Amino acid sequence: MMEAEFDPVTLATPFFVLTVFLEIVFARLRVVKANYETRDTATSLLMGLGSSVAGLLTAGVVFAATVWVYQHRLFTIPMTAIWAWAAIFLLEDLTYYWFHRLSHERRFWWASHVNHHTSQHYNLSTALRQTWTGGLAGTWLLWLPLAFLGFPPAMIAIQKGVSLVYQYWIHTEAIRRLPRWFEAVFNTPSHHRVHHARNPVYLDRNYAGILIVWDRLFGTFQPELDEEACRYGVVRNLATFNILRVAFHEWIGIARDLVRAPRHALGWLFGPPGWSPDGSRDTSRALKERAGIPVRGHVGPEALRPAVEKA
Amino acid sequence: MDEAFFVQLALSAAAVGALVAVAAWARIARPVGPLDEHKARLLLAEEFPGRPIDAVWIASDGCGAMAKSAGLALVICRVGDGFALRQIPWPQAVAATFKDGRLRVNLDDVAAPAATIAFAAWPPENLKGDLAA
Repeated sequence: MMEAEFDPVTLATPFFVLTVFLEIVFARLRVVKANYETRDTATSLLMGLGSSVAGLLTAGVVFAATVWVYQHRLFTIPMTAIWAWAAIFLLEDLTYYWFHRLSHERRFWWASHVNHHTSQHYNLSTALRQTWTGGLAGTWLLWLPLAFLGFPPAMIAIQKGVSLVYQYWIHTEAIRRLPRWFEAVFNTPSHHRVHHARNPVYLDRNYAGILIVWDRLFGTFQPELDEEACRYGVVRNLATFNILRVAFHEWIGIARDLVRAPRHALGWLFGPPGWSPDGSRDTSRALKERAGIPVRGHVGPEALRPAVEKA
Repeated sequence: MDEAFFVQLALSAAAVGALVAVAAWARIARPVGPLDEHKARLLLAEEFPGRPIDAVWIASDGCGAMAKSAGLALVICRVGDGFALRQIPWPQAVAATFKDGRLRVNLDDVAAPAATIAFAAWPPENLKGDLAA
C-alpha cells in the first residue's frame, strides 16, 4: 500500500535500450526516419542516467510527504479495485497535464523542465533527456491531492511510472500518424512532436501525458501541420553539449537576473519563460503575436499564410 | 541505496556507452552542409523575425556566421548538426578576440558561453561607412 512492489520505469529500462538501438539501426538501414547526432545522443542518455541518481536525493522526502498526506486521507481507496485504477489513470493524467503546463508557462518550473527540450533532435533518446532538478522544483507536490483523496502511495507511484513509460515511445519521427480515433484520444508521436517544436505556431501546446483530450478540453491542442515542419529545441537553442550547462543553465539564468534586478524577483521567478521587465526578451506569446498567430486555440494551415507573407 | 541500485546504474552506464557507440557508427546525423549567405539569412529570419540585416559575414569553414543588425551582432554557430544563434551588442563583437584566423566571441550566456568563428580577417574589411556605426 505504501511502497510500490515494482517500478514500471525500472522494468521498462531494457525496453528503452533495445528500442533506441533498433531506431538507430533501422534509421541506418533507411527503414525508418530518425536522426541521431553522437554528442546529442550522449547528452540525452547521460541526462537520463543522471536523473535516476538525482531523483534519489529527493525520493525520501517525496515518499515521506506522500505517506503523511495519505495518513490524513479523506477516503480509503482499495488498490485491488478496477474502478480505482480507472480513476487514478484519469486523475493522475489530469495532474500530469497541469504539472506539465506549469512547467512550461512559469519560469521557476521551466528551469527544471527545460533540459528535456534542449535537444535539436526528436528521437527515442530525447525521451530519456530528463530533469535533474525536478525534486527541488517541488512539482511533486501536485500529486499529493491524490494521496489526500485516498489513493495509496504505491498506486500513485505505479501510475506515474506507467505514464512516464507511455510517454517514452511517442518521442519518435519514425511513426507519422496513427489511426484517427487514436490521435483523437491519446497523445501520439505527432502530437508530441508539436510539443517539442520551437516554431511559434507550436509553442506551449500539447501538454498531455497519455490522453490528448486534456489539451482539447483546456484549449492548448495544436495538430501537427504538414505545411509547417517541426523545428526542435528551445526558442534559443543551446550552443553546448556540456550536461552541467544543460541541467542548470536556466537556474543560473534566473540567479543572474535576480542579482541584476532583484526588485523584479517575482517576474523573474514566476513570469513566463522569456519575461523581462522591459519586454526586451521574447515570451511564447510575443513570438506568436509577432508571427501573426492566434495566442489561443489551435490553428490550421491558413493561419500560417499571413506570417509567411509578412516574412 | 542498495546493491541492486548500483548494479542497475552500472548496467545503465554500460548501455549508454554502447548506444552512443552505435549512434556514432550509424552516421545518421542530419545532413548539414556549410553555411552560405542564403542559408544564414534563412536562419536569421527564423530566429530573429522582422529584424533588418545590414550585412552577413560567413565563416571560411561554413560553420558559423556573423550578421550586423543596427547596433546588434547576430551570431550563428554550429552545434553538432544544428545551429544556435545569439545576439550581442555590436561593439562587443567588433572587440572580440581574433587570433590565427579564428574569432572567439563571448556570448555572455550560460547556455551558449562562446562561439568560435573562422574568418580571414576581423573586423571585416568591408566594414565602413554606415556599417561601422
